[in-house]
Amino acid sequence: MRPEVGTILGLSVQKLAMGIGQEGAAFAQGTVGLLSMVLSLSAKEYERGADIRVTENREIRALFAELAPSVEDSKLRAELTEASASSDPTLRISDLNAANYKLRRLLTRLLIDAEEHGALDAQKRIWAVLNALAERRLVQLGP
Amino acid sequence: MNELEDKLALYLRVKLAAPDLTIANLARIPGGASRETYRFRACYAERGKPIDRALILRRDPVASLIETERSAEYRAYDAFHKLGLPVPEPIALELGSEALERPFFIMAEVENCTTGGIMSPEPYGPHRERVGRQFYSVLGKIAAADPKAIGLDDFDGAKTVRDAASHEVARWEKVIDEDELEPQPIVRAALRWLKRNPPPPAQKICVVHGDYRTGNFLVDDNGEIRAILDWEMSHLGDPLEDLAWAIDPLWAGADPARPGGMIARAEALRIWENASGLQADPKALHWWEIFASLKGAAIWISAAREYEEGRNIDPVNAFSGWYCLSVHNRVLAERLAAEIGA
Repeated sequence: MRPEVGTILGLSVQKLAMGIGQEGAAFAQGTVGLLSMVLSLSAKEYERGADIRVTENREIRALFAELAPSVEDSKLRAELTEASASSDPTLRISDLNAANYKLRRLLTRLLIDAEEHGALDAQKRIWAVLNALAERRLVQLGP
Repeated sequence: MNELEDKLALYLRVKLAAPDLTIANLARIPGGASRETYRFRACYAERGKPIDRALILRRDPVASLIETERSAEYRAYDAFHKLGLPVPEPIALELGSEALERPFFIMAEVENCTTGGIMSPEPYGPHRERVGRQFYSVLGKIAAADPKAIGLDDFDGAKTVRDAASHEVARWEKVIDEDELEPQPIVRAALRWLKRNPPPPAQKICVVHGDYRTGNFLVDDNGEIRAILDWEMSHLGDPLEDLAWAIDPLWAGADPARPGGMIARAEALRIWENASGLQADPKALHWWEIFASLKGAAIWISAAREYEEGRNIDPVNAFSGWYCLSVHNRVLAERLAAEIGA
C-alpha cells in the first residue's frame, strides 16, 4: 500500500499546517473531508497492515513451493525454491514490505513463465492467489 | 488570494476590453485534481450595460495528477461548445506564466448544478434514468463528431484505426514504468493480456474525452446535463475507449447492472450506438473495458508517486493510490482470471 501510513500522517499534518482555510470555505471543506477520509483509512491500515502482508507472503511462498518443481527454467526454479523457504525477518511493516516486494516480483516472473509455456493449471493457481491478494487489499470505505 | 484577484482583474481588463472590470467572490473550489480550480465573478460594463459574469479559472498546479496538455483541453471545450453539446463556453487561454505565474484558462461557470459522487450508490437520485439517457447520448455525439471538421485532427493520439489500442497501451505502460512504487503483478499481467489479445481495429478515429464518467459533468435540479467537464485527457482514439471508461465499475459501482449509477448497461450501449452511429462490438468493448481498468490503475499509481514524493500533497492523491487502485486491481484480477477459466 503506497503511500505508506507514515507518509500519509506526515503529509496530512503538513497540509493542515499550510493553512487550507486561506483558499476559501468550499475548498477547505473539501480538503478537510478528504483528509478525514484518508486518516480514517490509515487507522484501518494500521490495524490490518501487518496481517495482510504476513498472510500474503505466506500464500505466495506456499504457491512457489507447490509450483517450483514443475518449472523448466532451472534458474527460476531455484529462486522459487529458495523464496518458498524464506521467512519474514520481523513484523515491522518495512521488513514485511521488503519481503513482499521480492515475492511479488518473483510471482510476476512465475506467471510470465506459465503464460509462455501454456501451463494453464499453473496460471489458474497463480490467479487464485492474485484474486485473494486483490480481495484482501481492497480498501473498504465503510465502518 | 488578493494577489491572484488583482492579477486576474488586470488580465481580464485587457482581454475583455473592460477597463472598469472588477473581480468578486474569488474562491478555490474542490475538483479537477490536475488543475487548481477557482470560481469568481467578473463585473464590468459593456456598451454601457452592466455585466456580471460567473467564470471559472483553471490554473496549472506546481505538480499535476496526470501530465496533461492544457491547450488541448481548451480547444476541446471550444470545439464541442461550438458543436452545441453541453460544454462550458471557453473565454481565454494563456500558455505563458506572465499573467498568473502559471498557465491557465478561463471559461464560463455553469451555475446551480451539482456533480454526482463516484462513491455514491445513487449519484443522481430520482433523475438517474434521465441523466443516464443524456449521458450516453452526449457521449455518442462526441464519438460521432469528425475530428477534422471540428478542428481537432491534430490532437495527440492514434493516427490510424489500427494503432488506437496499441498507442494507448504504450502510453499508459510508460506511466506505470515511470511511477510504479511497488511491484504490481496484476497490472503487469493486464498489460501482457492487452498486448496478446489486441481488439479489432477502431471503427473510426474520434476525439476521445479521456475521463468521461460519473462525477465529471454538471446536472441541474431537473436532471438536465448542463456541462461535460474535465477534457484534459482528450486525445484521438477509438470511440469505445470512452464508452468502456464510462461503464467502468469504479464509478458509483454499487450496482454492476447500472454502471455509473445510472441506467442499465444494455440500454446505455443501445443509446450510445444510436447517437454515435457506431457498434458497441462485445469483443472489442470487452478489451477496452480491461484497458479502462488498466488505465485507471496507471493514473492511481502515478497519483501515489506524486503524493509520496511530495510534489502534490493533495489528499486526493493518497486516496487514489489506496482506494481507487485497490478497486481496479480487484476488477482486473477478476476479469483476467475469468479469461482462463480460473
